[in-house]
Amino acid sequence: MKFETARFGLIEYDEENIIKFPEGLYGFEREHQFVLIPFDPNIDCPLEWLQSLTTPELAFVVTDPHIYKPDYRWTMTPDEEKQIEYMDSDELKTLIIVTLPKALVNMTGNFVAPLIINSRTKKARQVVLTTQEYDTRHFLIPEDIRKADAVAN
Amino acid sequence: MLVLTRKVGESIKINEDIKITVIEVKGKNIRLGIEAPKSAKIYREEVFLKIREENQSAATAPEVDFGKISQLINKNLTS
Repeated sequence: MKFETARFGLIEYDEENIIKFPEGLYGFEREHQFVLIPFDPNIDCPLEWLQSLTTPELAFVVTDPHIYKPDYRWTMTPDEEKQIEYMDSDELKTLIIVTLPKALVNMTGNFVAPLIINSRTKKARQVVLTTQEYDTRHFLIPEDIRKADAVAN
Repeated sequence: MLVLTRKVGESIKINEDIKITVIEVKGKNIRLGIEAPKSAKIYREEVFLKIREENQSAATAPEVDFGKISQLINKNLTS
């Protein structure tokens, strides 16, 4: 299948790779279908794009939260589990949305509202955590590197 | 919107299994006690607004320098 995007031009994807968000994302309730696109196939980078298949201009940067917080944990309600057709935790993929400011070194991840994807069925949803433990704007780059970068520039 | 008046100590029931009680009124602040099954997710509304806003700002990513980002992240992971 094909879709004309603003950032990547014409992309081709298999129907089985469409990630389906029945409820959309918060603030983007009409966005139900996305595909994951590697950040740059030539560079080893843990970031990916989550490209909308509804709005050509809409693409989020996403990443695996466990890279930054190895003990990251979340919970879902039974309703949420049902929605993504949850059966086995091994088939779930967790991503968080990254916000890129102009100074890239200050990029943050939203650890309060992860995207939980069922890799088997490709059903997904953005889950809001009730714990106070995490932040919607958690720096992905440690402070010492951010400071060193600020000095270098 | 349904509007109800309650006194301290009085409650509102929603369905069979959710009960909201006014615990204390202190100036402009009202303390509420909520009894609900574990499956009910309860948040302050601001949490949703914040997530909505954060999604919006994430959706307007600037032109991205892939090399720079990878360099930053890899530095992070190897340090």
